[in-house]
Amino acid sequence: MNFYDFLTVVGKVFLKFLRATGNIAIFLFRSLLTGLTPPYYWKQIAIQTIQIGYYSLPVVGLTALFTGMAMTLQCYDGFSNFTSEGAIPSVVMIAMTRELGPVLASLMVAGRLGASMTAEIGTMKVTEQIDALSSLSVNPYKYLVFPRIITGTLLMPFLVFIDDIIGILGGYLVGVYHLGFNSANYIHNTFVSMSAWDVCSGLIKGAAFGFVICLMGCYQGFSSTKGAEGVGRSTTNSVVSSSIIILLLDGILTFVLF
Amino acid sequence: MYVIEVNNLTKSFGSNKVITGVSLKLKKGTSYVIIGGSGSGKSVLLKSIIGILKPTSGSVKINGNELTNLNQKDRDKLMLKCGILFQGGALFDSLTVADNIGFGLVYGFGFSKKQAREIAIEKLHDVNLKDDVLEKYPSELSGGMQKRVALARAIATSPDIIFFDEPTTGLDPITSGMINELIVKFTKEMGISALSITHDINSLKHISDRVGLLFGGKIIWEGDNKDLWTTDNPYVKQFVTGSLVGPFTA
Ligand SMILES: Nc1ncnc2c1ncn2[C@@H]1O[C@H](COP(=O)(O)OP(=O)(O)OP(=O)(O)O)[C@@H](O)[C@H]1O
Ligand SMILES: [Mg+2]
Repeated sequence: MNFYDFLTVVGKVFLKFLRATGNIAIFLFRSLLTGLTPPYYWKQIAIQTIQIGYYSLPVVGLTALFTGMAMTLQCYDGFSNFTSEGAIPSVVMIAMTRELGPVLASLMVAGRLGASMTAEIGTMKVTEQIDALSSLSVNPYKYLVFPRIITGTLLMPFLVFIDDIIGILGGYLVGVYHLGFNSANYIHNTFVSMSAWDVCSGLIKGAAFGFVICLMGCYQGFSSTKGAEGVGRSTTNSVVSSSIIILLLDGILTFVLF
Repeated sequence: MYVIEVNNLTKSFGSNKVITGVSLKLKKGTSYVIIGGSGSGKSVLLKSIIGILKPTSGSVKINGNELTNLNQKDRDKLMLKCGILFQGGALFDSLTVADNIGFGLVYGFGFSKKQAREIAIEKLHDVNLKDDVLEKYPSELSGGMQKRVALARAIATSPDIIFFDEPTTGLDPITSGMINELIVKFTKEMGISALSITHDINSLKHISDRVGLLFGGKIIWEGDNKDLWTTDNPYVKQFVTGSLVGPFTA
């Protein structure tokens, strides 16, 4: 491959990226514009609240519990070499609230919720249900997209908060019942170094990630092409793209917030 | 008085020119039926006329309003006067039959759920279904039942214009006959205008006042119901007889 071909490929990829970004921006703008004007579809918001908030709890909780446990074990392994086991509770706390809580919860939700969102909307798209919505004078962006994006953005911090609590609890369980920490000491060490910002920054990240998951989930669904294969491809795209954006954004946000 | 006037409409997907120039007029209270081979672009034409697909060029007037000039609000208002049956039914999977039929009434006209339900029951009877399907989900119904629920949804808002994409496909002859009766009743008794697509010659015979044959992206033949059986046009002849010899090649 000569240099010219190389430039062509780079240019093509870059243009494709720009086009996708533009499309997503227009998509978002449309959804917000229609969604923010009355009438509001409260029922859709309520349904999404249950879908996003409630049904994501088990998977988020499980991930958090085991991450917290493993985290504590690993730290113990390393820290005991320097007889600094006392730092474990606060390290686990900081790791959970600032990083692992928001990122892992969001990746799990991207897999569970983002995928099902894309599959659902994609199926609606290819079976003309979205056309049917407009034909019944209901704007599909307002009815399908806006409620998902808004609830996703508002509820993800809540999931992250639960994730934080369960993760720290997992660490506590391993610390006290397996590694023999004193319970009162462990709790004290966890909270003594905790700042509100640790938790808040994680919640802000959560909101941003929730937004990304739902935006990409809906966008990919709307871009589905005909056939089961089309919907399948969109679903994969949705999970992969939102996961990558979450990780990228996590880096950027960490840089900005701290 | 024409309720729909389509002038030189074209629609392409990328380089695929599906509709290359269609003009047609639908008189108030009459039924226009589009026929044509599978894949000839009938559904695309219908969707372009109602604006679900954006026409590449050309003009569509509904009730005298140029569609492309309307803002979203006026478009929505106009849509409320139209009842659309999609070829695949397009029922909302996540809603029950009752909610599907009542959808336009609740969201478009602000009816209460209870009022919408009463109308839904009435429309279900119109399409020969019983109340016991009301609480079922579309996936629990047979293909023909889904089609009929979709029909009920299309007529629930008492539209002035109905657009039916293959209303009788997949139905048994008796139910088909009933749906044909219903469409005739709409146009002859209730003054509703209908633009439909069909493959079903029996249905064509009953419901059409005027017929257009779509071929190669154009309406290559247009005529009244009675002309269908007497015309010398080889395309129409082949279409109504279902013969294997003629200009259509499978
Ligand atoms: N959304 C779309 N994007 C790209 N091409 C499309 C789209 N919809 C339809 N087409 C193409 O337009 C052509 C006509 O399709 P259409 O569905 O209108 O056929 P039809 O006459 O309704 O056929 P049938 O009788 O089988 O329903 C096909 O070649 C199809 O591939
Ligand atoms: Mg069709």
